[in-house]
Amino acid sequence: MGDYLTTAVALSVMVGAVRIATPLLLAAIGEMVTERSGILNLGIEGTLTFAAFISFVTVDRTDSLVLGVLFGALAGVLVSLVMAVLTVTFKVEQVVAGLALNLLGVGFSFYLLRAVFDDGGTDVPSVQSWNVVEIPGLSAIPWFGDVLFSQHWLTYVAFVAIPLTWLALNRTGFGLELRSVGDNPAAADLRGVNINRIQYLALAFGGLMAGLAGTFLSIFATGLFFPTIAAGRGWIALAIVIFGNWRLGRILVGAVFFGYLEAYQLTIQGQGTDVPQQLLLALPFVLTIVALVINRSRSNAPIHLGVPYLRGVR
Amino acid sequence: MTDTASPELAMAGGGEPASTPRTRAARRWRIERRLQTPWYLEGGAIGGGILLAVLICAVLIAAAGSEVLASYQALYNGAFGTRNASIETLVQATPLIFTGLAATFAFRAKVWNIGAEGQLYAGAMGAFWASDLLTDAVPRFPLIVTVMLFAAVFGALWAGIAGLLRTQFGVNEIIATVMLNFVIINIVSFLLADWWQDPASFYYQTARMPDVVALPRIFESGRLHLGFIIALVMAVLVWFVLERTSFGYEVRSIGANPRVATYGGIQSRRIILATMLVSGAIAGLAGASELTGIHLRLQLDISDNLGFTGIIIALVARLRPAGVVVAAIVAGALTNGATTMQLTTGVPAALVDVLKGLALVLVLLAAVVVNYRLRRVKADG
Repeated sequence: MGDYLTTAVALSVMVGAVRIATPLLLAAIGEMVTERSGILNLGIEGTLTFAAFISFVTVDRTDSLVLGVLFGALAGVLVSLVMAVLTVTFKVEQVVAGLALNLLGVGFSFYLLRAVFDDGGTDVPSVQSWNVVEIPGLSAIPWFGDVLFSQHWLTYVAFVAIPLTWLALNRTGFGLELRSVGDNPAAADLRGVNINRIQYLALAFGGLMAGLAGTFLSIFATGLFFPTIAAGRGWIALAIVIFGNWRLGRILVGAVFFGYLEAYQLTIQGQGTDVPQQLLLALPFVLTIVALVINRSRSNAPIHLGVPYLRGVR
Repeated sequence: MTDTASPELAMAGGGEPASTPRTRAARRWRIERRLQTPWYLEGGAIGGGILLAVLICAVLIAAAGSEVLASYQALYNGAFGTRNASIETLVQATPLIFTGLAATFAFRAKVWNIGAEGQLYAGAMGAFWASDLLTDAVPRFPLIVTVMLFAAVFGALWAGIAGLLRTQFGVNEIIATVMLNFVIINIVSFLLADWWQDPASFYYQTARMPDVVALPRIFESGRLHLGFIIALVMAVLVWFVLERTSFGYEVRSIGANPRVATYGGIQSRRIILATMLVSGAIAGLAGASELTGIHLRLQLDISDNLGFTGIIIALVARLRPAGVVVAAIVAGALTNGATTMQLTTGVPAALVDVLKGLALVLVLLAAVVVNYRLRRVKADG
């Protein structure tokens, strides 16, 4: 009996881990591509919040979950285009622009939430949300079927996005150009690569993925929106990119591992154990710093990350 | 191409160099970087950016169906309408002056300390610990000084971790400080749930601290406390150190051009670490000031993004200490007035966050624009 319970709990933790990992993975893949083009986008947290809000309002007003995903993704692209105008066109410091977008993303969402729904009341409105999609056949496999094949469709998208992004980055001319812009923009410029165009596109992709991640938070996982819905996930996604040393395989491992920690922490929260939950919550961030120190000699970080490219200025 | 640093700002899109040969006109306009931006343009950029942010927010207010002028009037009344409102505005501004100065000091060296938020908590921890240890042993005035010193040291140590990671292991300080913010929040959360939890409460908070450590109030009414005066003194100190000492010169040199500074004999690692320590110490003081001036209990919500708001303040103030004081008071006024605005006109208080974010973005854009000028030149192609 005890054994059976432990197994059931372990299974539910793993199912939760994959679910929690989904928005982290989506946002981290997008951020990784953006960083590969040399742009450090710290504004993921704000993007997640804004996209979560837009998809929430869309579903509330149109009752269409499909439109919710669409507009949520577009909201993500919109925020990242603001980032692009600021950092690519106007060469504003990327760190600063990212922090400004966090403030704006969260502030706008909060303001609009109150403006759209406000009645002075405290009750949070809720909308319908997507159901889990069981993949016929595969979902019947013991354990794996529950963990991997009985999830939201956006979870499958996140997993499929990994090989696709890998192919795009490493097996296409565009991917080569994108990586060259992040590593050596002067050389790319000399070869006739349009740096601004590449960085705009990379940011748009990052925004799209963060937008989907935000959508997941509101109209997949909960059907709710509240201003703290991102709860640091934008920053965790950033940590995962670093933890994964800008490699997709390790980013997947990182996202699932960080998701597992949170799922585990949620499970033990109600049970009272000797491991302080704060330790588990802090662990991803500590590990990211450790990973940075360990990987420093074989860092895969884009060489020109965070440095605005100005032609003729070194 | 030209004698200036960056002749082509890719503003027109496409990143075409400005000197692309053209044959149809003998004279044409060219965008070029100014060697020096006159003060009135920089001031105009700040003013213009803020004004535009106010106008955009006016549209938002109108869109939400409220009276624009009445809302701004309520915002102003809440911030400065009465003597007590003005005092409370300064109360709100106090921690922001500290965190704004912390960001200013680091950013002058282009050391991107994004961790003022975490360093504030470290400082508050230090302050609480000192008061817990020493309250019965030390008389009031030296006790307050010691509590402040502990806060500064704790803030400096927490920032120093990121500083060492940068100087010893080449770890990017942006990433390190962001990660450390989350680590310290969880440390504080652990302490509040465990070792330091008030035995008489199930909230995550410490017991109320004794009145002897409380910072003295400045006026009979209102909550304005000595922390505000300390913040003003810090602003003068930061200005003095940056502009009038050799250390400040080294800090600014590293910010201007680290390679040139190193050739000039400045030990950049040492200066970067020192910059981080000073910045962290100032942020730590913000924690002590809030803890012993206002809350008198260590809680998880002693900071509502004060560290991040400080970064915005520093940037809107263009990294000038006097500007930081002004910007912090404006930000404090917005926070303070927002409640009144929401109560009397129904405009959501979150509007002021939008206003701050927009002001930052627009001031930054305007600051870029005024660094360039249009000049009619002979076509050189």
